[in-house]
Amino acid sequence: MGQEMPSLKMRIKFPSIPALGAYLALTSLFAAAWFLNPGHTHSSFALMNPVKAVADQVAKPIYTSRFASSGLVDFVHSSAVTALPDGSLMTVWFAGSREGAADVQVRSARFDVKTGEWGSEQVLATRDSTQQGTQRYIRKLGNPVIALAPDNRLWLFYVSVSMGGWAGSAVNVMVSDDFGGSWSAPRQLITSPFLNISTLVRSAPVFHADGSIGLPVYHEFLGKFAEYLYLSADGKVIDKYRISHGMNSLQPTVVPLDGQRGIALLRYAGNTHHRVLATRTEDAGQTWSEPYPLNPSNPNSSLAAVATPEHGLLVALNDLQEGRFKLSLYGTDAKMVDWRSLSDLDKSPDPEGDPISPQVYKEIMGHEFRGSSGALRQPLEAQFLNNLDTRVCTVRGCEFEYEYPYFIRSPDGMYHLVYSWNNTFIKHVTFNEAWLSERLK
Amino acid sequence: MISLWQAHVSFAMITFLLLPAFGLNRALRIAVLFALLAVSFIPVDGLSLATYLRSHIDDLAITSMVLMAWGCLRRLGVLPPAQQSKTWVLILFAVLALVLYPATMGLSDLDPYRFGFNPRPMLIFFALLTLGLFYLRNLLAVVMLASATLAFVAGIKPSQNYWDYLIDPLLGLYCFASLLMLVMHWMYGLLIKRHRSPPNRPA
Repeated sequence: MGQEMPSLKMRIKFPSIPALGAYLALTSLFAAAWFLNPGHTHSSFALMNPVKAVADQVAKPIYTSRFASSGLVDFVHSSAVTALPDGSLMTVWFAGSREGAADVQVRSARFDVKTGEWGSEQVLATRDSTQQGTQRYIRKLGNPVIALAPDNRLWLFYVSVSMGGWAGSAVNVMVSDDFGGSWSAPRQLITSPFLNISTLVRSAPVFHADGSIGLPVYHEFLGKFAEYLYLSADGKVIDKYRISHGMNSLQPTVVPLDGQRGIALLRYAGNTHHRVLATRTEDAGQTWSEPYPLNPSNPNSSLAAVATPEHGLLVALNDLQEGRFKLSLYGTDAKMVDWRSLSDLDKSPDPEGDPISPQVYKEIMGHEFRGSSGALRQPLEAQFLNNLDTRVCTVRGCEFEYEYPYFIRSPDGMYHLVYSWNNTFIKHVTFNEAWLSERLK
Repeated sequence: MISLWQAHVSFAMITFLLLPAFGLNRALRIAVLFALLAVSFIPVDGLSLATYLRSHIDDLAITSMVLMAWGCLRRLGVLPPAQQSKTWVLILFAVLALVLYPATMGLSDLDPYRFGFNPRPMLIFFALLTLGLFYLRNLLAVVMLASATLAFVAGIKPSQNYWDYLIDPLLGLYCFASLLMLVMHWMYGLLIKRHRSPPNRPA
């Protein structure tokens, strides 16, 4: 038959000395890896000490609006803002000839609390600076977010794309130890095993008690879903948690309610109900409940929320089925059952958002410019109107777009909201508790 | 910056393995490999060629680097062929790719990539797997997994995730394509064998 019959007598064959050595070396290697990687401990949310004193002292309601950006030509979008210890603010956004263009830059401006004006624009990141920092080819830049950590390090996260569209995005990080005076070179966060693509930022980072950073992100490659990236205090990705799954949610805005509990509101990107989605965590962002629709509508647009001292939420959103021609401010309780409209922050003169004639559009834009440009930019009105960007105008007429809100509450108790104003300016709205109380009456 | 060195070495090995041998002797092939390494440093618009490649394929896993090094050494005639070992390597990493990528990119509620951030259970699994593969004397797979784990311990990649040392999409794609070729080759052989064998006749 050509085959040997197996021996009935069992013979134990011991491995050779080199083989035993190899077994030992391999076991030691994996044992070392096991001991050196004990896993991280997840910290509770760090809650900002509510400084109600200032707010209570200010009996007078305050509500102001002004433009944070000053360029008159570029497409501007996706702003974020943070409060600095000296009472000033820093806002960032992206600007360029159009969204997705190679000339898009991440820019910033600083709000001088003494003059009450936003200063000149500074360029924080370009395609070239990102290429040099990350040593990767960069096609375009996208959404930036900025936040001051409890240890007073200023963090900037922004999106870049090396290949394809926004689904091919990666997140870059820069950090400043002197409140934005100087910045580290950008580096890329490793967030995905598949070519490190499909991770985008949009909403405010959340800090944890031990200094670790919770970064709400979202994917839009094979699925459209939200995640909570967990970064160490020095900005290394050490874990991540699914906030949602499937194909219908983007851009989570995470609001801690206490050390363990938090809410994430999500942009609805599906085709069924067009409503804001919400999900909750009871363990500081590690697990999230199944997302469920809330009362306000959401036309697949970004929204922002912030907690109030009364354990409720303030939410800025486009409460519309379609379009982004009205940006509204709502207040709701922690259960998100009772929603109250507090103010329309900006809206088209047409209640349905229908296009208006270029002449009327120009008049309204002039009026709005005077209302929000601030003293420094008032002389630019004629230039602004002469070069009025007609990107929102078609043969049907001109349409208004007020979108991509970003919300914070600064340590002095003031609320700050920045958003895209017709993709022409970044608008900053600020108000205090007294104004809010008045609206809630 | 280790990732950049890795990018240059990856560029040299990938292009070397893609290029035909041109009937060159071993010394010339080694020279070609080093020439390709030099080419990887050529700058275009401020970035090296290796950087452009890295921008599209990302930093490769350590297992890929080992497999490519093994391929290069085979091409240079330093190592003998190891067809059986390689087939198991292909199956192993194809399965890993299938477990990791679809689920991580959103096609499942479970995110297996997370396991790589707290990797103790994964380390136990891969330790047992590596010891088992060593028992079967699949040295290629053992060296790949052991090198990846050693690199993870040393933290030579910017990622904190064990998965990023174990597998990358290029390796997964290569394993799937190679397995497909093997299956097609096997089926073709089977068909030829049946065609050539005389038909059974009734007694």
